[in-house]
Amino acid sequence: MTVDVYTPLVLSLLLAAISPAVGRRVAPALAARVLTAAAVVTAAAGVWSLVLLAATLVNDAPPVVAEARENGRRLVEPVPEGIGVLACLALAVVAHRLWRAVRTTLGTRRALRRLCEGHPPGTELIVAASEVPRAFAIPGPPGRILVTSAMLGALQPVERRVLLAHERAHLAHRHSLLVTAADLAVAANPLLRPVRATVAFLVERWADERAAATVGDRTATARALARAALSAGRPGSSCALGFTDRAVTRRVAALQCAPPPHLRSVAAAVLALGVLPALGAADATDDLLHLLANVLV
Amino acid sequence: MADRGPHGRTERRSSGELESEVLAALWSTEHPLTPAEIQAEIGGDLAYNTVHTILRRLYDKGLVLREVDGRRGAYRPAKNAAELTADAMHEALDRGPDPIAALQQFVTGLSPEEERALRELLTGGLTGGVV
Repeated sequence: MTVDVYTPLVLSLLLAAISPAVGRRVAPALAARVLTAAAVVTAAAGVWSLVLLAATLVNDAPPVVAEARENGRRLVEPVPEGIGVLACLALAVVAHRLWRAVRTTLGTRRALRRLCEGHPPGTELIVAASEVPRAFAIPGPPGRILVTSAMLGALQPVERRVLLAHERAHLAHRHSLLVTAADLAVAANPLLRPVRATVAFLVERWADERAAATVGDRTATARALARAALSAGRPGSSCALGFTDRAVTRRVAALQCAPPPHLRSVAAAVLALGVLPALGAADATDDLLHLLANVLV
Repeated sequence: MADRGPHGRTERRSSGELESEVLAALWSTEHPLTPAEIQAEIGGDLAYNTVHTILRRLYDKGLVLREVDGRRGAYRPAKNAAELTADAMHEALDRGPDPIAALQQFVTGLSPEEERALRELLTGGLTGGVV
């Protein structure tokens, strides 16, 4: 119990450390999926471990102590009392962070729905008559694509097709769900922040690869990205994904090489890394149940 | 041949996707476009009649207008809804980091040296690596 319960902590550090390398080497569609899955399982196992640590405080509950004294039983202390108290505090923080993350997600959804007002139903493309070059997918159903007139004006015809194909890929593969799942994992376990950044980058790469396949031209896809990025300039405000560090140039560079291989073995290793903390947590649960059975029965 | 996918991309474009492409073409320029010009813009293998059908559908939805003076048969995009959307978007952007900034945007910010590299890519072809 005492070791198992801390495995999610160690393994989330490990997952965070390897995620950028996985993101660079494995095909984006596969890498984004396994990293998100591993992050969610690791975060869930971490929360459960906190619950277990908090549950050890039951030993210190006055009725339990009194009863144990009457029966002449010695109470086992699997972890120091201070750790149990800390776990309780951590759980409260996690609950608050999760609530905040959910609220932000819902707020974004509401704001996006407002952008679709006034447009006839059944149209995929929503144009905003704006001088600010922007483009993003509005998750559905039905999914929509918002592009500003400035962005459309900056691109060549084939590049406009790249842009539309890129945003369609976000919608078709439900990238917003993946990123939201990674968001919630980070809310529950801040150590996983690098994984979230990698997933955010990977869904862009994934959409780039889909667009290149749809248009059938990697070079045109790279040029579309370059032109869009140059016309968008350096607003500094759109850095919320936290991966702006050379993100566009890295995407352009990736399009100038062959698509990355699937490397299923690496993907399987990442998934295994995600399952380990769950096993650790399950083992720790078993141990705690035994302890509690000794104390309470 | 460069715009041909391995699976015959153009055949698989749905009517909804074609509507988006026509609308995007009309918004990308200040001038009204004739169906023939649109046909040339979004891929020559698209039938002229198809372009006509799509334009009629966009017209029925109120998304495009027929040019009355000037060139006959030319179309331009309707601005009303697009301006409302722009206002709503600016309002959401001005409100701070939430909520639109949290979206996956097509592109994000650039550093000065990245800007230089990307400009070289667009002017000088794709011989060298970008990063």
